[in-house]
Amino acid sequence: MYWTDDRAWAPFAELQSLQREMNRLFDGRDGGTAMSRFPALNVWGNGENIVVTAELPGVEVEDLDLSVVNNQLTIKGECKADKPAEDAVCHRNEREAGSFVRTVRLPYAVENDKVAAKYENGVLTITMPRHEATKPKRIEIQTA
Amino acid sequence: MKEKNLEKVEPTRDAKVFVPTPDIYEKDDSILVRCDMPGVAQDQVDIRLDNTELEITGTQAGDKPDGVDLLAGEYETGVFRRKFNVPQLIDRDKIRARLHNGVLDIELPKAEQAKPRKIEIKTGDQIDKEVD
Repeated sequence: MYWTDDRAWAPFAELQSLQREMNRLFDGRDGGTAMSRFPALNVWGNGENIVVTAELPGVEVEDLDLSVVNNQLTIKGECKADKPAEDAVCHRNEREAGSFVRTVRLPYAVENDKVAAKYENGVLTITMPRHEATKPKRIEIQTA
Repeated sequence: MKEKNLEKVEPTRDAKVFVPTPDIYEKDDSILVRCDMPGVAQDQVDIRLDNTELEITGTQAGDKPDGVDLLAGEYETGVFRRKFNVPQLIDRDKIRARLHNGVLDIELPKAEQAKPRKIEIKTGDQIDKEVD
């Protein structure tokens, strides 16, 4: 989604930019095809919880739609293009707008009714506790 | 598309620097710049205007959720920075910025002398009357 600057040492900058261009073909807000990689997600987790974060600047909370079925999380939404003023003339339009869908498979089933989501400063954070039934259970071995 | 005029000074903090992609609009009386800055809190935005050079810096909070490890990382956090050359004279006391849902809106009002002025064209009759 963004470019890093060129003060980092990058011997293969040209190759990387080509790779980025190729990735960008599939990364855009394309309305949610199977190849959709937008929004980029960071998935965090331990044995008890899964936390998914996504950078979604400029999306209103009412335009976001989250659903969880067993171990599948779907993020659906729309980034609306809005002009800052009616009479403004556009010089550059580099920000993208459009609708997106992304589904990710989580490592285990989660408690659907205990999923918590927060949207702050354009970052969406979804916290999902692990489903009780999928937690590993210690099995006692009985001696004769 | 990539800006090459970034300052060549090494940052002191080891944070990735991202170049935000802005929308730039112009109205009769102002220039509007809109940047995506997800994860940047209001007090972490720094906007500087040095002569005609506008520099926008936003530092992402980059908070790691407590007690969990990263399983799959698709994006990184760091600092957003971009510089622009602003051609018109800007009324620097009236610059306004607003951060909403991770989108930064900056309004740069043009100074009085830079605003377009309508020039009245007088017809021959009017000039004659003024002479009288």
